[in-house]
Amino acid sequence: MEKRVLKKDKLAAIIKNVSRDMLVYAPVKEEDNVLFMALKEGREPLLNFSNSRNAPKTFFFPRTEIMMKYTRTGKGMELSKGEGEVRETALFGVRPCDARSFALLDKLFDQDKYKDPYYIARREKTTVISMACAHPPYSTCFCTSVDGSPTSGEGADILLTDMGDNYLVEFITPRGEKLLKYFGDLPKAGEAEETLKKEIAERAEKEIRSHIPAKDIKPILDNNFEHPFWETIHRKCLACGTCTYLCPTCHCFDISDEAKGNDGIRIRNWDSCMYPLFTLETSGHNPRPTQKERWRQRVMHKFKYYVDNFGAISCVGCGRCVMYCPVNLDIRKIVEDIAKL
Amino acid sequence: MLNPYIPMPVEVIKIVTEVDTKDIKTFRLAFVNREDEANFQYLPGQFAELSIFGKGEVPIGIASSPTQPGYLEFTVQKAGVVTSTLHDLEVGTHIGVRGSMGNSWPIDYLEGKNIVVVGGGFAFTTLRSLIVYMIHEDNRSRFGNITVVYGARTPGLLIYKDELAAWEARDDINLHVTVDKGDESWKGREGFVPTVCKEVAPSSENAVTVICGPPIMIRFTLPVFFDLGFSKENIITSLEMRMKCGIGKCGRCNVGNKYVCKDGPVFSLAELDKLTKEY
Ligand SMILES: Cc1cc2nc3c(=O)[nH]c(=O)nc-3n(C[C@H](O)[C@H](O)[C@H](O)COP(=O)(O)OP(=O)(O)OC[C@H]3O[C@@H](n4cnc5c(N)ncnc54)[C@H](O)[C@@H]3O)c2cc1C
Ligand code: SF4
Ligand code: SF4
Ligand code: FES
Repeated sequence: MEKRVLKKDKLAAIIKNVSRDMLVYAPVKEEDNVLFMALKEGREPLLNFSNSRNAPKTFFFPRTEIMMKYTRTGKGMELSKGEGEVRETALFGVRPCDARSFALLDKLFDQDKYKDPYYIARREKTTVISMACAHPPYSTCFCTSVDGSPTSGEGADILLTDMGDNYLVEFITPRGEKLLKYFGDLPKAGEAEETLKKEIAERAEKEIRSHIPAKDIKPILDNNFEHPFWETIHRKCLACGTCTYLCPTCHCFDISDEAKGNDGIRIRNWDSCMYPLFTLETSGHNPRPTQKERWRQRVMHKFKYYVDNFGAISCVGCGRCVMYCPVNLDIRKIVEDIAKL
Repeated sequence: MLNPYIPMPVEVIKIVTEVDTKDIKTFRLAFVNREDEANFQYLPGQFAELSIFGKGEVPIGIASSPTQPGYLEFTVQKAGVVTSTLHDLEVGTHIGVRGSMGNSWPIDYLEGKNIVVVGGGFAFTTLRSLIVYMIHEDNRSRFGNITVVYGARTPGLLIYKDELAAWEARDDINLHVTVDKGDESWKGREGFVPTVCKEVAPSSENAVTVICGPPIMIRFTLPVFFDLGFSKENIITSLEMRMKCGIGKCGRCNVGNKYVCKDGPVFSLAELDKLTKEY
């Protein structure tokens, strides 16, 4: 792995150069929010930001996406695949929790036999440039409870760590190393930088204030599907789906057709297990008839089923669902309560 | 990479109205492209997504058997948007098919054993596929006795009537067709499926039962098979859940950590016991 030292004031120019050759998305201030947006001419990426409101999974798994187009031709149909070519892309300034979400989504979308070609095509063309959290931004951050860390490079191709006057730039994957040329002739990182990075990492971990027993609840979930506890947590839930739409690891979707005359498209849209219709069958039978079963599904999926199937918790501790739930349902509290069952 | 979301074009080459109420039809589909036909490998018990462009997709069990090359068959009940549109189609129309999907009846496990097939209503479709597969001359010797109990509410609701008659005439399959309530013309058996199973009383010795039907039928049939000595490993059934992607991605058809679309729809009772009761 190449490790280099970059003077902080040089970064903006490098990103600009990268954006000449490929699409760059970066955190940008948009009204009151920080959002990942395409870096258009004259727009500066935010270098000091906490985290974007939208999860960057949307670049691999868009909110809405054309899967196929078709045209009726006589009695037949002409099909063509989706929106065409995927462009070479760089995602700049992804936080470590969000970068980890890519590694977790890979497990689902890129299985041995069952592959999602849309997700994989974007993933293969995208370089993820992460920015370590030298100071974890929110009181709701709990990445260390779910196997992450504020300075982790998991899911990233390049990891930047703020070291005061410089960034330590770690080129983690071959895909990341392909971008070396844009960084020019940088001095290699030495022992001093290694030590500093270690200190930063340790301090950042200590600054995480929220700790939950996320890894302890799997054996409890294994045995308590019918526990009365599930009756207690969901009552104020509005079934708005905000928690799942903002979540960087949620991946549920709907598929539907839209047609006009002889032309049509098949699209997929994000969907949510928090919605009553999600599992409603045509017969009227619904295996998850109330919000109780839906909340249980959300917890089970993240902290048990994903662990059963892929060996990892499907939550990266970003805290978005905690911050934006309109009725303050807090997944951290729920995990703590489960641990006490 | 093959795109599992893009359907293959198929032409509707035959439509059979199965029941008096006309809301169950069997569609015979032929692949428009030869390579698609070669790629579409399946076993009884699997399903496919049928695609009506502009309307959407529905998961439907494959009613034909891989021993019947050249076409696929699906028996569909008119239920909502897509299935109603399908019912209005005419021969010659092109639709789409995605698949094959899911696991299958466990053919390897069934091999060498006596097979008891129990079906109720139009859920008989993938059981038909299994029966046709097993009694095919290339396969018949791989299985022991084949006993079939199939029931519908009324004679007019029995599907595959011609085929039932043909099986009746064979001596290498014990067929018991029953209706809840007969009419003037009905000369066959009357009685509910569980009752008939009790009367037929197939031996559990080296036997497996494969059962598919409405939940209520299954609920009353299971005790009969337990009494006959069938273990949970040897009672096999198929689940239905709302589906979209069919390949374990869209996240809606899971029961516990299993996705019915790819880990199922076929499960033994022993396997179902290990899952949560959320279906
Ligand atoms: C593995 C499997 C095998 C099946 N085999 C058959 C069969 O052989 N014959 C048959 O007639 N029916 C079968 N069904 C049920 C059939 O899929 C539904 O009746 C059908 O999806 C209803 O679609 P619709 O558009 O007409 O109804 P709408 O109510 O308009 O449904 C809208 C959408 O909801 C979904 N959906 C609704 N209900 C169900 C359901 N019960 N199961 C799955 N998806 C659903 C579908 O994606 C459908 O496109 C099977 C279902 C599954 C899961
Ligand atoms: S954000 Fe809160 S209210 Fe909305 S669905 Fe999630 S838990 Fe329920
Ligand atoms: S469950 Fe909540 S905290 Fe965990 S990754 Fe999703 S949004 Fe972030
Ligand atoms: S149908 Fe999408 S996960 Fe099963």
